[in-house]
Amino acid sequence: MSPGATKPTTIAKGITSGLRAAMERDPKVVLMGEDIGKLGGVFRVTEGLQKDFGEERVIDTPLAEAGILGTAIGMALRGYRPVIEIQFDGFVYPAFDHIVSQVAKLHARSLGYVKMPLVIRIPFGGGIGAVEHHSESNEAYFAHTAGLRVVAVSNPHDAHWMIQQAIETDDPVVFYEPKRRYWDKGEVGDGPSGDLSSARVLREGTDVTLLAYGPMVKTCLQAAEAAAEEGHNLEVIDLRSLSPLDEDTILASARKTGRVVVVHEASTFLGMGSEISALVTERAFHHLEAPVLRVGGYNVPYPPSRIEEEFLPDLDRVLDAVDRSLAY
Amino acid sequence: MALREFKLPDPGEGLTEADLVTWHVAVGDTVKVNDIVVEVETAKSLVELPVPFAGTVASLHAAEGDTVDVGSVIITIDDGVGGSSDAAAPAPAAAAPPAAAVPPATPAAAPASDGGAAGEEIAEGLIGGTTSTGRTAVLVGYGVKQTEAKRRPRAGGASPTVPESTNRSPEVQPLSGERTRALAKPPVRKLAKDLGLDLAVITPTGEGGIVTRADVEAAAASATGAPASAQESSDAAPAASRWGRPTASGHREERIPVKGVRKMTAQAMVASAFTAPHVTEWVTVDVTATMELVERLKADREFRDVKVTPLLVLAKAMCVAVRRNPGINASWDEAAQEIVVKHYVNLGIAAATPRGLLVPNIKDADAMTMRELADAIGTLTATAREGRTQPADMSGGTITITNVGVFGIDAGTPILNPGESAILAFGTVSRRPWVVTAADGSESIEPRWVTTLALSFDHRLVDGELGSRYLADVAALLGDPGRALVWG
Repeated sequence: MSPGATKPTTIAKGITSGLRAAMERDPKVVLMGEDIGKLGGVFRVTEGLQKDFGEERVIDTPLAEAGILGTAIGMALRGYRPVIEIQFDGFVYPAFDHIVSQVAKLHARSLGYVKMPLVIRIPFGGGIGAVEHHSESNEAYFAHTAGLRVVAVSNPHDAHWMIQQAIETDDPVVFYEPKRRYWDKGEVGDGPSGDLSSARVLREGTDVTLLAYGPMVKTCLQAAEAAAEEGHNLEVIDLRSLSPLDEDTILASARKTGRVVVVHEASTFLGMGSEISALVTERAFHHLEAPVLRVGGYNVPYPPSRIEEEFLPDLDRVLDAVDRSLAY
Repeated sequence: MALREFKLPDPGEGLTEADLVTWHVAVGDTVKVNDIVVEVETAKSLVELPVPFAGTVASLHAAEGDTVDVGSVIITIDDGVGGSSDAAAPAPAAAAPPAAAVPPATPAAAPASDGGAAGEEIAEGLIGGTTSTGRTAVLVGYGVKQTEAKRRPRAGGASPTVPESTNRSPEVQPLSGERTRALAKPPVRKLAKDLGLDLAVITPTGEGGIVTRADVEAAAASATGAPASAQESSDAAPAASRWGRPTASGHREERIPVKGVRKMTAQAMVASAFTAPHVTEWVTVDVTATMELVERLKADREFRDVKVTPLLVLAKAMCVAVRRNPGINASWDEAAQEIVVKHYVNLGIAAATPRGLLVPNIKDADAMTMRELADAIGTLTATAREGRTQPADMSGGTITITNVGVFGIDAGTPILNPGESAILAFGTVSRRPWVVTAADGSESIEPRWVTTLALSFDHRLVDGELGSRYLADVAALLGDPGRALVWG
């Protein structure tokens, strides 16, 4: 554990310290990405690491995501544990073919002989007033692809520990970081909250279950606070792992409250909420007091930043769904 | 007076420093908000920087040609306003530091939302620090806006208790269709099933006819004759039957008062069945040509916006066949001891409606074009489905179709609508093997569209010959709709 890990920090710095710990532990851990070395990354997540670990372990790459992934695949085949930073969510698509065709499949294609222990870090989501390509939530593409782990962090503790777990697992991991929450503060505890596939109940409740991940976890926690003032006791679960899903935790909560609202920034159409809705309906049908409701983006391209607040789910949209659920 | 510091902002390229190229102002100059005060050069471009305050330039903290870190103070403006509350005023010290980059000042006030005092604060203007608009600065974009943790006021005031049910859900809207499955949510369905209760016979109290948990519990309590909680102690409660199921009224059997449409239907059927001696004849016919006609008409401009079905062709065929066999379209006047032959066709179509079986008819159907007939059938069925059929719509019928085929039924022996002497049951149209004779006389078995027609008629006034001719004519028209040109 890195020194200072118990003091309050931010999600960004939690990832930095997690990366640092992993690099100190294992010389095969190598970072690659655009502007991650000298500049320290556009969000300063890798700040200081090139200075401490050198240009051979913290590599500034050309602006070519397909090239970065291709290089990382080769390195993973030769025993390295590459950790790639995709600068913004909307930049990952040139590497899409490598990720879904090679990274996801090499292990199965080689009958388990080959491991693909690489981590693809993607700052995702909107709410930073950015131009297009900089605010997307494309997790469903990767969650849909068998052979990839997909996780999303929502707080500094998980940021610090889950990045290390992601590096340690032999499976390829798409690691989503909530870019507008990078500077949210929180404590980092002594060890991970659970294995990399587990969800975490952040707030226990009895009336309605809110399922969220990444940037929407904070929104849901705030919504639960506001709902408590109105007399509704909401349970908030941070999914953390989008693939595989922690079905046991989701279903236990659904069976307990009988009402489920899934919240994400990505459009609801064929988003994570759709899969979770189907899962809960199939496996907890007789416990459901209301249909599983989804709160998410609309089925349009991410809008210009001036109107992004109308697109992004907020506390009010979450609570409106809670009201709809409770009305059944 | 208050001295306000302007720090070198991140020019939006993600760079940490910039070269100061040209000052556009000097100490003592007056500036307005957004005046360009300095030009800096980053690795990527020349940028002119506007100043966010108005006032007098108090001091410049860097010289032209210097390299300045993002976040360091480059100019101090005296805004001329007395008694400033913020700005822990490095005023005198900042009077004239040398041109070398000044270490970033501690932010005047940490954002109020920061509960947890992180180890190191990020200077204003740097990524992760605050912006002049109170957002968190990012490389690409206006910055992160802090979200509200309070709910906005709702129209009509916040209601801490939510209404028991809602009409926001489309599935809760009253159904106008003929299917009336009991409405209930899954756990209530499960409860009813576990209790051995049929949801369909439980009186719903929820909005839109929803059976609630309370309804099921009440039904269970009444079924056992005692509230569920009192079951164990109550010896007086009727014991469960030997089947182990509730025995009280209303569940193993249900008694429904005979009234309304049901009563009328019963009376009419008894009157018809026991006064008019019924004969039913059957014919099975290849209606492939009719089905092809239906497909053609569907694409015909004349029939746009209207439903074209085999029933429409049958309706027309009935009218054409009546013209060749007028005696079938008649009634028996017992009182006058006369047979009344009608030279018009009020074509009845039996309809299952929410109120029960109704037989509205299309007045003067024989005088209608096919398009008019299609419109009339559409109106008739829509009106019936909505339960708005009026008595006038049902009186004066002369001959009737009952379209049992929609239920997948081959045919049946329909009972005459009182006052008429024939009723035709239209069976399902389905693909069946059929012996087809080619032009050269060779025979083959082919899949064809085939249906069965069953005609019941009043044998007092319709002889077997007339009934048979009429049925054969209708069948011939469906087998070859072109016949209508010959007979029409």
